[in-house]
Amino acid sequence: MAGEHLSPEQADEYAIGSLEPGLARIIALHIVECPPCRSLVHDAEDVAAALALSTPLRRSPPGLKQRVMVKAGLQRPGIFRRLAFVGPAAAGIAAVTVAIMALTGMVSLRGQVNDLRRQNSDLQAQVSTALAERTEIAGISQRLSAAEATTRQLGQQGIADRELLLAMLSPKSVVAEVYATSSQQNAVGRLIWSPQQKTVFFVADNLGPIPGTQTYQLWVSENGQYSSLGTFRPDASGFARYSATVPEGMSGYDTAVVTLEPAGGASQRSGPSIFAADLSSFHSGLGR
Amino acid sequence: MAWQGNPDVPGIRSIHQAGELSRPLAAAPAPQTEWTDETLMLAIAARDEVAFSVLYDRYVDLVYSTVARMLGRDSALAEDVAQEIFVRLWQRPETFVAERGRFLSWLMSVTRNRAVDELRSRGRRWRRETGSGSGPDEPINQVPADDADDPLATAQLREEQRLVRAALRDLPADQRRALNLAYFGGLTQLEIAAELHEPLGTVKTRIRLGMLKLRRALADRV
Repeated sequence: MAGEHLSPEQADEYAIGSLEPGLARIIALHIVECPPCRSLVHDAEDVAAALALSTPLRRSPPGLKQRVMVKAGLQRPGIFRRLAFVGPAAAGIAAVTVAIMALTGMVSLRGQVNDLRRQNSDLQAQVSTALAERTEIAGISQRLSAAEATTRQLGQQGIADRELLLAMLSPKSVVAEVYATSSQQNAVGRLIWSPQQKTVFFVADNLGPIPGTQTYQLWVSENGQYSSLGTFRPDASGFARYSATVPEGMSGYDTAVVTLEPAGGASQRSGPSIFAADLSSFHSGLGR
Repeated sequence: MAWQGNPDVPGIRSIHQAGELSRPLAAAPAPQTEWTDETLMLAIAARDEVAFSVLYDRYVDLVYSTVARMLGRDSALAEDVAQEIFVRLWQRPETFVAERGRFLSWLMSVTRNRAVDELRSRGRRWRRETGSGSGPDEPINQVPADDADDPLATAQLREEQRLVRAALRDLPADQRRALNLAYFGGLTQLEIAAELHEPLGTVKTRIRLGMLKLRRALADRV
């Protein structure tokens, strides 16, 4: 469907019955709730129904009306009336009776088969409707789950923003300038240590895009021994924000670097460095 | 509200409304054969057996012919299906809502849907064996024009048939065939494309153009 409404072509295709059953069911559900589309479809059905008028007329079978009237409960079966005219000859009566019983049985059987067929048709229609409704509900549930996930993500981002803001505003926080290496000279960054939150924040912008096989990794070193604080990836605009809890504080470390490592992170620093920061400003009694 | 022979009622708005109607009180009501389809349906909803009989006589040949054309050589099956359509019309008249369109369009839509259910439940092999699906175009045991108890409605129907046939004759043969396969054959566009060995887009275009031309040709019908 084009947008939320049917196009005239779709209405025609629906009316003439040329759509795939699945799409036809969706449209059937839609027109129940959408008066403009329902009107469009009824107009198309009017044209489609005219096709039936092109059929050369055949005389309907003469006994059909009586069968319809009997089946509709408007007449008694004619078979009883015919019985009254059966002659007196016993053999004839017996033969005719047997024949009539067989015929009645066949008619009855045919009626039962028709009933069953109609019930089956009704049941299929109900199942189709139920399936269509179930599909629609599943779609709504999926969209709801996606919306909830987005809400959760936005909530977590809001909490992270607040923590970063508190760290930046706190007079006890210490900020270290981060220097970009020659490979990404346009990149800028800051490392903020919040002793209150026992958390180190790393914020950078203008980071170059990296392939899915690589990741940025933040390290801190003490006397040449590097410890990983985790990995992060920038967003599409090159912005990255990363935070890690450091329970023991930062005063023992002298340097921080950001390197480019294989996706998932490396156990030991191996890739080229992108940023480096002097952590000597963290040694003013704010550490462990 | 008194029943006035052939009231100009646009159709059944609800089954409750139909139930409130009384039987004719006027001295000389118009015969029911002169009533419109919608009025007859109103009376049927009020359980008028004569109205049902009139409506049956008016359309049974059309319904039977359409079903027979769709179901091919199995005339017993066509008879069963036609019977079922009329029995349900009597049992569930409220399924027709006049505000949603003409009675004839509704009846033919019901007829086609029921026949398509039969076609689809029996599969392609049965269709091939019985020659069902598109049906012959030549008249077989045609009903004589002057053999009707309901001359006015019959004349209107004949006039409408003449218009539709003329409109269809004016369509290019490939468009007419696509429309017939969809409507009478119960085939989807994909199935028609496979049947005709044509691309799906071509089939869609033929159906679209065919319906468009048919709509224009029938715009001025009664």
